[in-house]
Amino acid sequence: MKRFVFAFFAAFIFIVLWGWFYNGVLLKDVFGEVQSLFRPREEMMGLFHWIIIGQAGLALSFVMIYASGFAGGGIAAGVRLGIMLEILAFSARCAFYATQPFPAKLLVLISIGGFIEMIVTGVIVGAIYKSAGARTS
Amino acid sequence: MDWRKFFISFVAAFGFIFFFGFIWYGKLMHGAYQEVPALWRPEADFGSHFSWLVFGHIVMAFFLTLLCAKFVPAGGAGTCALLGLFVALIYVGAHLITFAVQPITSKILWGWNVGALVQFAVAGAIIGVIYKPISSATTQA
Repeated sequence: MKRFVFAFFAAFIFIVLWGWFYNGVLLKDVFGEVQSLFRPREEMMGLFHWIIIGQAGLALSFVMIYASGFAGGGIAAGVRLGIMLEILAFSARCAFYATQPFPAKLLVLISIGGFIEMIVTGVIVGAIYKSAGARTS
Repeated sequence: MDWRKFFISFVAAFGFIFFFGFIWYGKLMHGAYQEVPALWRPEADFGSHFSWLVFGHIVMAFFLTLLCAKFVPAGGAGTCALLGLFVALIYVGAHLITFAVQPITSKILWGWNVGALVQFAVAGAIIGVIYKPISSATTQA
């Protein structure tokens, strides 16, 4: 339970920081090109808690899936799970792309960021589970 | 891995995910989408991007099946439905973030969330029922 909580917080902190850096800083201008599809900045700030809750949900789900069936595999299993989950997220993004007038460039860039995010999350969660396992054995 | 059963599970999961998506997101939520028409592609534009929708659903069904096959090799509706729920929670997290940054209504947000939970739990259960490797069938016999 201790490593579950530790892994969750580590994954959550990384997802928040990466989300801010990649989407908020690096892709800021790209999002600006389709501003009409997004809320104004002030409105977005008023709903910021939903971003944090959503990112906590992502981290929690990741760690729950890892702990349920991948925990024995260490970092490699974490990376494998991250890739599989990101491909699932990419598939949903394709459906959004079909229905919302996003440029294809945004689909590609968000997906690249998503792959990095999920792979690093897998490394973090896998490393925490591995080191905790090594200490108990 | 039993590839024959994997393929049947994948096709069944795809059939369900696509059909459920059409009914839930395409028909039942149609009115909610009309409240924010500027967010969606016009009908003709959507038609020319329809292949992306199909592709997305194929990838979704394939990797959900792969995840169930790797995660729960013995199959079983309950365990795979639980995995489907965990995967749906990833989507719920992403929907909450979308709600914060895009002007979708809370009706759309909760429609998407409930839809994802039902869609992935049932798809997981379908995969779990169909996908049972030979080893477990032999053990049971």
